[in-house]
Amino acid sequence: MKLKFKIVLCILVLILLAQLIRPKEVKSSKAPEARVLTGVPLEVAKVLETSCFDCHSAYTKWRWFDKLTPVNFLVASHIRDGRKALDFSQWDSLATPQRNAMLYFALNGILSKEMPLSSYTAVHPEAKLNPKDVDLLKSYLLNNAVSKPANAEKTAKDVEKPALKEIKNSPNGIAYLPDYRNWKAISSTERFDNGTIRIIFGNPTAVEAIRTGNINPWPDGTVFAKTAWKQQKAKDGSIYAGQFVQVEFMIKNAKQYAHTKGWGWARWKGDNLLPYGKTVSFDTECISCHRPERDNDYVFTTPLAINGLTKK
Amino acid sequence: MKTSFTAGIFPFMILLMLGCKPTTTDRINKEASITGIKQLPENPLEMTPLAVTLQPEEKTMATLYGNSIAAKRLKDGMDYGAGSVLYLVTWKGKADPDWFGARIPDRVTAIERVSIGGNGQKNYIFFKGPAKNADLEISKDDRQAKILDIPVATSP
Ligand code: HEC
Ligand code: HEC
Repeated sequence: MKLKFKIVLCILVLILLAQLIRPKEVKSSKAPEARVLTGVPLEVAKVLETSCFDCHSAYTKWRWFDKLTPVNFLVASHIRDGRKALDFSQWDSLATPQRNAMLYFALNGILSKEMPLSSYTAVHPEAKLNPKDVDLLKSYLLNNAVSKPANAEKTAKDVEKPALKEIKNSPNGIAYLPDYRNWKAISSTERFDNGTIRIIFGNPTAVEAIRTGNINPWPDGTVFAKTAWKQQKAKDGSIYAGQFVQVEFMIKNAKQYAHTKGWGWARWKGDNLLPYGKTVSFDTECISCHRPERDNDYVFTTPLAINGLTKK
Repeated sequence: MKTSFTAGIFPFMILLMLGCKPTTTDRINKEASITGIKQLPENPLEMTPLAVTLQPEEKTMATLYGNSIAAKRLKDGMDYGAGSVLYLVTWKGKADPDWFGARIPDRVTAIERVSIGGNGQKNYIFFKGPAKNADLEISKDDRQAKILDIPVATSP
């Protein structure tokens, strides 16, 4: 009896002492009042504020139990990682297209059931989203943030192509692959969130993997190239690929790219193919958006059965 | 007693988690693949993709494919030469289940083939896809002209 009491006391003292060790985030926990996301209806902003701002903005509200060690370390790490992936505090400095992209990103995080983290909603039930909240976000985006195609004034053909100088490597060292236009199309997408139209090319290794049904994981040597063009409207109402926006690559090598989920990620933008990304680890951005597909080797596209099927 | 229970339950949980991994061979977009059209002389999906187009009214999306002769147009921007074979494959579009903001190919509505013979003679063939609207009228000459006119998707 006595011994048990001592042990309990010791544990209590330890817990109390542990409260002295806190992540710096708690010490500066005077969060500014959350500002409403400007330019979107109040009820849309409210949904995101209640469910997401604790981890995805500078406006964190710490509940008393969040401040207890060791819970506070978990919370602080959520905030660090959360803001790296998506930070609503930047809202005011963003132009409308980027704001819309952020909202589509957020909504897709919700739809993929990744967000808000279930460990968080378990103790913050008010942050759980109900279907009405989700519909509200969807209809807001569909009614206010669908990109319209440009009208065809001059076609891409009329514009003189600038002579390409040397194409620089991506900041993570990946070199440009000029050959992708000879590859097969494994799919195409219409993106109404950003007004583009896309072809997803697969290299011969990718096509062979599709033929043999060996696509999860994709074999080493697989390369995807995804090109995006601005949508352009023709006189008859149909839409064509207009101005070239960018080409993005995913290069599979489980060993070489083990630190980036087995893929090398790279993007080149515009007619002069400028490499995208400011730092070596710019690709965390790619990975965080592709993460909901982790059970599919981080690949969104469901490929067409390119060869074989017609012969049956 | 307790520790052995905890030690035992972990491998069990891991097994469960592995067992629950969804099987994903059905990641292939089978509905959109060109099954059931047996008379096609070539498999367009194995040709070079030249252009993509959308028809907002019909909610369809199409990809223009070409053989190696036709694909020269990507580089030189010239008209399709003799020996060119072009295919326009049209799909009904559907919402991408994995990305709100995207539409991807669903079932094939039509496959159209335009070829240019040695003498410059043009030939048009229409293949009905499984999702074809039965009473849709098509004029061969119109369609042929339209297909030859689709602006190719250029990239640097
Ligand atoms: C408890 C903290 C927490 C809450 C609340 C939360 N997130 Fe997250 N979120 C994270 C963390 C942590 C990551 C980074 C995941 C990683 O790095 O593994 C993340 C990542 C994301 C990503 C990147 C893609 C992904 O799925 O990983 C999106 C998008 C996102 N969150 C959206 C939201 C939205 C929208 C809400 C509100 C409905 C929300 N989050 C609420 C912690 C949170
Ligand atoms: C905001 C979300 C988002 C970000 C960030 C993102 N992607 Fe993607 N990516 C997608 C979606 C959605 C698709 C599916 C095709 C489509 O609809 O465009 C995709 C598809 C791709 C594909 C075709 C293969 C596949 O997975 O389907 C490549 C290659 C690719 N992305 C490369 C990149 C690279 C490289 C980066 C970073 C520089 C990046 N992506 C960042 C959302 C994103």
